[in-house]
Amino acid sequence: MPQDLAEVYRTTYRALVRFLYRKVWNAERAEDLAQEAFARALIHKPESARGWLFIVAANMARDDARRAARERRHLTLLTAEPQETTSATDEALEVESDRARVRAALEELSPRDREVLLLWDSGLSYEEIAAQTGLARGAIGTTLSRARRRLVQAYEAGKTGEHVARG
Amino acid sequence: MSMSHVDDGTLHAYLDGELAPAEAQGVDAHLAQCPACRARVEEERALISRAGELLALATPPEREVPPFRAGDVRPLKRLWWQVRLPLAWAATVILALGIGTYIGSGSRALMERPAAAPQQNLSRDLVAADTPARRVRRESPAEPRVAKRAAREEEDRIAPQRKNKLAAATPAPPPQAAIAMFEVGRSLKRSPIGVDSARTLLGADPFAVPGTPIRAIYQAREIGYSAVVIVEQALDSTTAIEVTNARSTPLALGEVAVTGAAAPVSRADSVGALERAPRARAQVVSSLAAKPSARLMPDETLNRPLRRVGNLEIHISGPLPSDSLQKLLRLVQPVKP
Repeated sequence: MPQDLAEVYRTTYRALVRFLYRKVWNAERAEDLAQEAFARALIHKPESARGWLFIVAANMARDDARRAARERRHLTLLTAEPQETTSATDEALEVESDRARVRAALEELSPRDREVLLLWDSGLSYEEIAAQTGLARGAIGTTLSRARRRLVQAYEAGKTGEHVARG
Repeated sequence: MSMSHVDDGTLHAYLDGELAPAEAQGVDAHLAQCPACRARVEEERALISRAGELLALATPPEREVPPFRAGDVRPLKRLWWQVRLPLAWAATVILALGIGTYIGSGSRALMERPAAAPQQNLSRDLVAADTPARRVRRESPAEPRVAKRAAREEEDRIAPQRKNKLAAATPAPPPQAAIAMFEVGRSLKRSPIGVDSARTLLGADPFAVPGTPIRAIYQAREIGYSAVVIVEQALDSTTAIEVTNARSTPLALGEVAVTGAAAPVSRADSVGALERAPRARAQVVSSLAAKPSARLMPDETLNRPLRRVGNLEIHISGPLPSDSLQKLLRLVQPVKP
């Protein structure tokens, strides 16, 4: 087995789980998907394992979200319980946690800004982020500055909104 | 560079340490002579650290990194029945056809699925580093999503405490508490298994509702149980129930359940009803302690009836009214070889 993949696993596993968690918002699911990404890496033996893992993980998270949406529709048909139809936004407001607020703030970012921000936070370099997203390397700083600003603004706005709503 | 102001993108790249040395020197030179840009550097630095803080709030609970053993890792196929619904329905029909023979003659119609064994091994290996605190849950269609999420977040919060308690727990088994945990706990279906494997795991015949097609049997895990087997049965083409067979294990679960309940009780009253679920858990524990002889009791938090046979605890969940589930629970019979 490739020795360097074991090393990548050691250094990247947690970051990959965190990256996935911020997409699927379920710790166990994130761990399962991270495991699967590494399992696939063992078979495909990619040239640059770290970047490859994040690409595969992003794809899996997207498929997972689609599947979850499909299942939700299915469940709604089956059970017709009113709670089932609660939208994600309502849920996030109900569960008064920082995590939910950050999640809501992240969801206000454009997909590209969010992706770049999450990749940077996972420890990828501008170079790697550029390779993964297809953006020019010189555009990463601009994208990151915008993403960070919007995240903080959306978070603060969400907080203020809640205070106002509570009266 | 030193003549014109530094744009946001360059500033962030500068602060991220991602500028080429020559560019960084250019920025340094400009900052040395431009107080406005120096002030902006501090603002952007604060923004970067604030964004980092916020992201850190959206982080899953830290768990041990599972060991990486190349020999064990094979691509997971465990999602196949979720992804390929049509295939699953086809399998249901085939199983339904076979099940009459199976129940009637007592022959072993349900064989090990060929794909099941490697999956089972793999998932066990992948979770090899699990602590008992890593609770797993079963995704039951009957439970409202909101409740699940609240319970999950609650669980994330209390997991470390529980881990410590578990480690320190002495083996003094209070069976009532075990029931309560079972009621509240959600086990995660791990992998499909055959009826023979289910029998081996439970040390007894798994229970199921007679005369109802068995769609699949899953191995599952749940804290406090040495083995959990879920028999999925199709009542009709759109309604499925799950008969959970759990073999209890002597563990100090009273510790676990009450620890989990303690934290939210002390919290502010503004917590939502769903977040108070663990308080209900504590109430279940005490109410069960008051009537330990009860054999068939409705669950007060999840509306899941429970029945004990020997050291097996059986309950049924599904998108049905609780009295229907109660009736089905009275019907369950061992699946004989």
